[in-house]
Amino acid sequence: MLTEKEIINLNKLSKEIRKQILKMIVKATASHIAPSYSIVELLVYLYEKVLKINPKKPKDPNRDIFILSKGWAVSCLYSILAHKGFFEKKLLDNYCIDGGKMIAMTTINDIPGIEASTGSAGHGLPIGAGMAMAMKLKKIDRRVYVIVGDGECDEGSIWETALIASHQKLNNLVAIIDYNKWQSFGRTNEVLNLEPLKNKWEAFNWQVIEIDGHNFNEIDLAIKKSHLSKNKPTIVIAHTVKGKGLSIIEDNNDYHYKTPREKELIIAKKEGLI
Amino acid sequence: MKQAFIDSLTKLMEKDKKIITVTADMGFSVFEDIKKRFPKRFFNTGITEQASISFVAGLSLSGYKVYFYAQAPFISMRCLEQVRLDIAYHHLDVKLIGSNSGFSLNQYGVSHYGLEDIAIIKTLPGVTIFAPADSVEMTASMEESYKIKGPVYIRMTKTGNQTIHKNNVDINKPILINEGKDGLFLVIGGLLNRAKEVTASLKKYNINLNLYSCPLVKPTSRALITLLKANKKIFTLEEHTIIGGFGSTIANLIIDNNLKVRLTKFALPDKYLHVSGSMDYLLDQSGLGIDSIVNKIKKII
Repeated sequence: MLTEKEIINLNKLSKEIRKQILKMIVKATASHIAPSYSIVELLVYLYEKVLKINPKKPKDPNRDIFILSKGWAVSCLYSILAHKGFFEKKLLDNYCIDGGKMIAMTTINDIPGIEASTGSAGHGLPIGAGMAMAMKLKKIDRRVYVIVGDGECDEGSIWETALIASHQKLNNLVAIIDYNKWQSFGRTNEVLNLEPLKNKWEAFNWQVIEIDGHNFNEIDLAIKKSHLSKNKPTIVIAHTVKGKGLSIIEDNNDYHYKTPREKELIIAKKEGLI
Repeated sequence: MKQAFIDSLTKLMEKDKKIITVTADMGFSVFEDIKKRFPKRFFNTGITEQASISFVAGLSLSGYKVYFYAQAPFISMRCLEQVRLDIAYHHLDVKLIGSNSGFSLNQYGVSHYGLEDIAIIKTLPGVTIFAPADSVEMTASMEESYKIKGPVYIRMTKTGNQTIHKNNVDINKPILINEGKDGLFLVIGGLLNRAKEVTASLKKYNINLNLYSCPLVKPTSRALITLLKANKKIFTLEEHTIIGGFGSTIANLIIDNNLKVRLTKFALPDKYLHVSGSMDYLLDQSGLGIDSIVNKIKKII
């Protein structure tokens, strides 16, 4: 269990990250604020409490790997990498500018801390599986963590990987589904129903853990449990709210696309995000 | 050609422990020995071309050099988006071996033909393409692919199951097969044998062609441009659709270099065949019968 103080600090950092994301997205008139907000607690927890990484040695062969398979939520990842000191915070001002390296889909572009270029659905999880396999071959006792979108689970390559990773007994692979129940054109259960999602992953021979993806204690327990797996990869089904943290965009799929403007920013200010 | 591939890969894997071979469940009678000798560095990831390519990218991002083997149509089309993003965009040290391209699986029909692979792979920046004509060129392609620190596509065909060259070859340049002054005949892949027969036939009519095998399809070599500049009548031959293949590359080079030459492309027509047949039958149906090529060249020269 996390202490009360730890939780207070994690919540504080989550707020800071949301502020940063809002700033970047508004400045760039960019999209994808809501899917970036739904994974803030997951990323904050991983980068603060789990990942064995060193911003001074971003290519350390003995590091844990994090891959954002839902590459469109990259404003959250850039923000947390800057917070961890992988690069200077002022670089975040370059998000989506002419000639900038920080583009709106996760791209390596020599940016320290970015492990794979993603953005097209269904790539990050199999890339992560390959990296987990490489760790096994090199006998490196580290793990690969991948955040996958729920809509992304429509892709065949996700289920191909579900087969490959369990067949190869990749117990060092931890995938987290950001289950915010929205995909590009509607509710996941209306567009293409994923349920029963837990049973599907269990049937593919993964360890399945279901949690509230905004609750640090639940995230903590899930990740700790994933580390105990003897021979199965782990999938954490994290129930989340798309746009979590800014009331006007919460559970509203318009903000998969729309940039917050005046009316949203007034509310953001009231809620302490500006 | 197949044996040359197996022998080269085995040698490379012996030499370099960073090499991993992955197949999406292809390679019956190809990989049995490699699987036995390198059990930890050989993966059969099942019939999952898409996830397999991304999985291969993950291995390569972790420092391994990966040889991925699948039938040409599946490697170039089924998982094209993965090849584009995970291999080419990342510019990874991954070698894609497309087996049985062209009409190799002549009895199986279009699902198993590799008619478009060069045209498709050619559009991906930074991917080197070799289309070897025989076992010697296959070995040289494999050795060269090892030296290249980036993505490579090697196109294998059953027509290439032959040994034409007597000595080692420089795979990065057009390779002279017959010297002549009546026209330039450029060939990729196993149809080189057919081109030799065409060239021999034409000699009866006092036509002597400058015949070259051109295993390096992309990038194009300076030596190739020099050849184009030195000849007025140019012919190309390939077991690939006429759209976007080797002939198209030559056409572009001619335009880009502002050359006043006549180009005739021998390639597969822009249509699907709906019949079964032997390799010779399919090539004849596609206008690539030896007599048909000979007659066309005769008329032009």
